[in-house]
Amino acid sequence: MTPKVEIPPATVMPPLPNKSKGESSSVKKVLLQFAPFFGLLSVFILFVILCPPAFYSFYNFKTIITQTVIVGIAAMGMTMIIISGGIDLSVGSQIALGTVVIATILNMGGPGVEASTGITILAALGAIAACAVCGWLIGLTTSRLNIVPFIVTLGVMQIARGVAKWIGKEQTVSTPVNNLQKLMLLDPEPEWLIFAPGVWITILLVALTAVVLKYTVFGRYIFAIGSNEKTARLCGINVSLTRMAIYTFSALFTGVASVMQYSNLTVGDPTAAAGMELDIIAAVVIGGGSLSGGEGSAMGSIIGALIMAVLRNGCNMLGVPNFVQEVIIGVIIIGAVAIDRLKHHIKA
Amino acid sequence: MYLKKYIALLSTAFSFMMLISCNSSSSTENKTTTANTEGGTEKLRIAVIPKGSTHSFWKSIHAGAVKAGQETGAEIIWQGPQKEDDRQMQIQVVQNFISQGVDGIVLAPLDDRSLATPVNAAVKRDIPVVIIDSDLQSKEYSSFVATDNKMGGKLCAQRLAELLGGKGKVIMLRYSEGSASTAEREAGFLEGMKEYGPNIELISTNQYAGATMEKAFQASQNLLNRFPQVEGVYCPNESSTQGMLRALQTSGKAKKVKFVGFDANATLIAGVQNGEIHGLAVQNPFMMGYEGVKTIVAVVKKENYEKRVDTGVKLVTQENINQPEVQELINPDLDKWLNQ
Repeated sequence: MTPKVEIPPATVMPPLPNKSKGESSSVKKVLLQFAPFFGLLSVFILFVILCPPAFYSFYNFKTIITQTVIVGIAAMGMTMIIISGGIDLSVGSQIALGTVVIATILNMGGPGVEASTGITILAALGAIAACAVCGWLIGLTTSRLNIVPFIVTLGVMQIARGVAKWIGKEQTVSTPVNNLQKLMLLDPEPEWLIFAPGVWITILLVALTAVVLKYTVFGRYIFAIGSNEKTARLCGINVSLTRMAIYTFSALFTGVASVMQYSNLTVGDPTAAAGMELDIIAAVVIGGGSLSGGEGSAMGSIIGALIMAVLRNGCNMLGVPNFVQEVIIGVIIIGAVAIDRLKHHIKA
Repeated sequence: MYLKKYIALLSTAFSFMMLISCNSSSSTENKTTTANTEGGTEKLRIAVIPKGSTHSFWKSIHAGAVKAGQETGAEIIWQGPQKEDDRQMQIQVVQNFISQGVDGIVLAPLDDRSLATPVNAAVKRDIPVVIIDSDLQSKEYSSFVATDNKMGGKLCAQRLAELLGGKGKVIMLRYSEGSASTAEREAGFLEGMKEYGPNIELISTNQYAGATMEKAFQASQNLLNRFPQVEGVYCPNESSTQGMLRALQTSGKAKKVKFVGFDANATLIAGVQNGEIHGLAVQNPFMMGYEGVKTIVAVVKKENYEKRVDTGVKLVTQENINQPEVQELINPDLDKWLNQ
């Protein structure tokens, strides 16, 4: 790593406007900061009005939160990538690969035997490592061969899916009973956890991402590269090395998401999570991330993921047919980006 | 101040859409439940969850469920996974119905293990579950309503043995590894061959067609090239049957080779009509939806019900294809139930 450098703050935080306008514009800024949160709140209230009382029961609240876990965790990694001006289309395939790796390692203890804690932990770490290798490869190819991440990750999407099918021998891999399967239970064991362990892990990871993005040199580098890569390079940031670090670090989150996906499915499934990368990217974008880089936040992205989960759950509750749900989610994505554009107009 | 107007506009537009969609959905719900016995006890709310929603097979199940709903006075809530054939999405749909507190769930599980956890969770919350179409590895569900696949395979073997006069060389093209229902049809066929055609030589029984019609087509071509002397062929599902039909047509062997398949669609029915397919074992999805809902209602009302309901297989041939009962099976009048 290069020695610590001061990053020009201009690209990240615009200078405060002069005092006469200060008050009203700072109110606006606060409003904009919380735009995704208000979005979530209004969607939730809308459903509370429309839906039967079962919608705002505590059990349904738990259901929604648990359904957010996989997309939410993967969205943390995606947030970092999108802030750095990149994109990762291979996340869904990586998650599938992760579930197959877990299942394969769990079966090493012999069929039908309950997996020991050691093997269980090894399996989870194996999945995370497999995803990290994918991330590292993506970072390496984009920075060394200078190919845009869209193309590289499009390729890795196919490769990871293919490898997953190869390891799984083109079918789902069944596994013995083990503790990983308890990570996503709606009624957790032990009961005092209230929420599934996966939910608590998500909360920890969101906090971790927020801290990394705000308070570490690495986090500031991510913003700098996404805001203006040339300036970042001139400031002495080793862009290609940082980029490799970003993709590898993000892939760790994808790995954790794959553990949660396995926990939900209880089998290794090479066809799992097809198209999930689009949900994840949508979560980041709804939460205020900008595909041109330099913008986004951990909090925003998890709220984006929650909005989509609330929409799906609420539409289910109302008995709205699937095609209406798809249209609504599409409208929300475009609406979120429209608001984002507006933000830029106001800032300018 | 543009911002406020803009956001206001967006949110009103959104809420409008929601309202419109809700109105339309509630009106369709009303339609499906008009035949309810008015007055008296509260009507039951039964969730029916298919594997997908665009395939005609599932539309037939839906129609059957609606019919049973009208007869028993239950409200049918029909909801498939948002992405077709996506296990994760189907798990979420089951979870959402548990939250919603429906009275019973009829489920066609996409996977015999992944769906066990949410089904057990439902039963734990006193929501009974009836499984249709494919089995689930769980002891918690109340009843299993599906085709007896082994029986269907046997039926095909009997037909092929008759067509060949008890002798000849036969290929069985398997469907795909790990698919329980087709594996039973294959086992049933082999069993039936021993019984009805002990002198028939099975020259290939270990090849797999793969999940898509395209793959099945290639596998079939390879098999037909390798065994030019073949006289009879059996395939255990729709995509493999259609792939094999295409391969027989392109190699000029159609009509000459005796061909028995499983499941029906428009192409395969046409194949039966013009004599390229000599027998098609057809399931009864309408019955599956109907019996599934009837059974779950019986479970909820604590009446007697069967732990295993066989919905039957019918062999469709060129001779019987125009009979009204067969026509009803292959061209069911779905609109009568779905768009009234």
